[in-house]
Amino acid sequence: MTTTQSKRSTVLADWMKENRSRLAVLAVILFVLLAAMAGLEAKEWFPTIMQGLSVGALTFLVASGLSLIFGLMDVLNLAHGELFMIGAYVGWTMYTRFDTAVDAAVPILLIAAPFALMPLWRRVADRLRRMDVNWHLAIWLVALVMAYVAWLVRFGTGGEEGTGAGAGPMVVVTGMFAAIGWALLRRSRRHDGGPAGDAAMMKATALSTLIVGAGASLVAVTKFPLVIWDAEDFARSPSNFSVQVDLGQLAPLPNDVFAWPAILAFAVLLLGGALIALGLSSLQPRGGETGELARRHWAGFGGMVVAAIVLALVKTPLNEWMFELSTTWRFLIAILVATGVGAALGAFIEVILIRPLYDRPIYQLMITLGVGFILIEMVREIWGRPEFTMARPAAFNGVGEGCPGQGLGGFFSGCSTVEVFGGRLRVYNEGFVVLVGVLVLVGVTLLLKRTRVGMVIRAGVQDPEMVEALGINVRRVFTLVFAIGSGLAALGGVLAAPSIGLSSGMGAVFLLGAIVALAVGGLTSFPGAAAGAVLVGLLQQIIIRLGQTGISLPFLDEPFKPSPTVVPAASILLMVVILLVLPTGLFGRSER
Amino acid sequence: MSLLTVNDIHTFIEQFHILEGVTLEVPQGDILALLGRNGAGKTTTLKTILGLTPARSGSVVYNGADITAKRSFDIAALGIGYVPEHRAIFADLSVEENLRIAERNSGDFAAKEEFIFGLFPDLKRLIRLPGTNLSGGQQQMLAVARALVPDNKLLLIDEPSEGLAPVIIEQMMDAITELSNESTVLLVEQNFIVASRLAQHYVIVEEGQTVQAGSMADLVDDQETIKRYLGAG
Repeated sequence: MTTTQSKRSTVLADWMKENRSRLAVLAVILFVLLAAMAGLEAKEWFPTIMQGLSVGALTFLVASGLSLIFGLMDVLNLAHGELFMIGAYVGWTMYTRFDTAVDAAVPILLIAAPFALMPLWRRVADRLRRMDVNWHLAIWLVALVMAYVAWLVRFGTGGEEGTGAGAGPMVVVTGMFAAIGWALLRRSRRHDGGPAGDAAMMKATALSTLIVGAGASLVAVTKFPLVIWDAEDFARSPSNFSVQVDLGQLAPLPNDVFAWPAILAFAVLLLGGALIALGLSSLQPRGGETGELARRHWAGFGGMVVAAIVLALVKTPLNEWMFELSTTWRFLIAILVATGVGAALGAFIEVILIRPLYDRPIYQLMITLGVGFILIEMVREIWGRPEFTMARPAAFNGVGEGCPGQGLGGFFSGCSTVEVFGGRLRVYNEGFVVLVGVLVLVGVTLLLKRTRVGMVIRAGVQDPEMVEALGINVRRVFTLVFAIGSGLAALGGVLAAPSIGLSSGMGAVFLLGAIVALAVGGLTSFPGAAAGAVLVGLLQQIIIRLGQTGISLPFLDEPFKPSPTVVPAASILLMVVILLVLPTGLFGRSER
Repeated sequence: MSLLTVNDIHTFIEQFHILEGVTLEVPQGDILALLGRNGAGKTTTLKTILGLTPARSGSVVYNGADITAKRSFDIAALGIGYVPEHRAIFADLSVEENLRIAERNSGDFAAKEEFIFGLFPDLKRLIRLPGTNLSGGQQQMLAVARALVPDNKLLLIDEPSEGLAPVIIEQMMDAITELSNESTVLLVEQNFIVASRLAQHYVIVEEGQTVQAGSMADLVDDQETIKRYLGAG
């Protein structure tokens, strides 16, 4: 007994010695927190702490994915904040304008379906690669004609609607085709028929295919009956819809009808998706894995097409049913869909954009940055520039008799606020969001520690080559982790929407917080990401709080009130101080 | 009959031409020692067989199938185990997880547990420890044990004796002799005494090229070759 005890105490002593600076930093942080809280009553500091945890939970949802992706693949995903933003907007749409989400899902599914058949497109691309340059010229010509047809279908011949319409895109497209054609012609003259497998030739064909695919998809989408808002018109704007949901009085917008026969619209979208997929796989360098076209690929393709058709057929009853659901249920559905969309988008980004660049890390960094900007512009284009809010679901929005709830039980009273220790907390922000943050922390920790996938991820963080040499497809694990991380960011976004509202800049704010959290916690450590996120959240809220109450400093007559604009600066300062003392962060391990 | 045939492979790492024509044959059921000085291309040969550094030309035929262009995980899944130089034990995983991660079908580890702990009784006692807490010899045992978890027909073992105490080397040699009853082994070994006691065949590479091959029994008597290609044996 005594020996085990003494053994235990030496283990503890060793641990403390090893982690001396870490403990010192934690003690200092604790001391600063206590000092900041000194003189405040429980009803003042408790809500501040909880608000800090709430911001920390949202930051953690971004930081966790960032940390997993960085740890496993050494990719700093600068688009991660925008995935957070996408989660918020997709969640808002599911929640507030379910009809639009259903309408949009049909063309998206149809365009995405051909991507399930990637091995087929790779094989076609290989066939193209072996073809003569004259074939490529023929493809170029067909593509050019198709692009003009698409333009005519979309904008007509001018006439009543004004001749200028659509001239801009056509000039750009014509220019691109001219450039591609010129490259092809030069090639054919130089090589007189040209050798098979010429990279430049292939690129030209891939680009023509991409342009036509994108054009066909865009044209067909405009022929879909898409119920959508109008950010310019208040009566039909996102912010007005949010208010209506809050008042419980939202009806679906009137539905337009297909401008084309539905079959034609469906077919053109499938064709567009197929051409985009073919173009993208032709752009990828040769020697990528071809893979067998298995039954599961066809199942994925068929599943998406069938889902699109079923959605198109049942959308009216589905919409009516959804609009009668309580906002709480709709919110839960929105959470699931937003997380799923985030995960799917993440997987898509990894496979199409990141994967070809694993041996060029700088390009990866730049491409994630670019994807981020594209996503922001996309969101502005679709949802409009102005910020708007998202109504809180009914379960967190109760007022009137018996509200605010009292004590811990008050969290389940259905009130929007609750009184704990005399301080007011918002049930949604300080209760639900923190709870989800904790659940995700526990869930991902269990995934990492208790499952085979988690074991492979932990091993892959250290040595992906060895994992591959054991017979494990590391690339597939990469994609999975990218999807999980993106899904968590999107989850953070949809959770944040009811408390902080929606804006196209929301992602950047949380990305900054998450990067600071990562640096503070140790870049690749998952618990470190959680600790760092909580620290960042606490620090921000305490500074905001101190901005209201002021800090009495010696030699100053009036209390010093930090303005909210110093909040981001304070996070960076925290990072700088911690990294000076602990270069690898709180939980980081030094590089081998 | 040979389980693995490597025919004139050329491998580049970035722009460096590392292998300039390595050819070897590993007979089924035997141990073949791949010998040569530091930097001769021994480790790269193993990595090229596994597809970790794919060959630009030449071919690798395993069990009758051309695996030159396959991805590493597909190659390994055909039944090739790899014990890399410096062991590559996963530090974040416990000893047990380090073994379980090598499973290709659930139950692989349970089926081989007795055999593995028979070879390396030490590991049984360490099963809960994290991979980092092991000594060099224990890590080497774990690395070999990890390659034994799935049913591997061929083992690629890189420098199993490097940096180990003589007693541990003896133990490791006994283990390799015993496991070679079950699998074919391609062994890279700097220590000629160890290699000569374990292997029936040898191949010598020099500057990325196969220069000599044959039966180990002949090489042991050929002091001149040993001096010329392997330094003082």
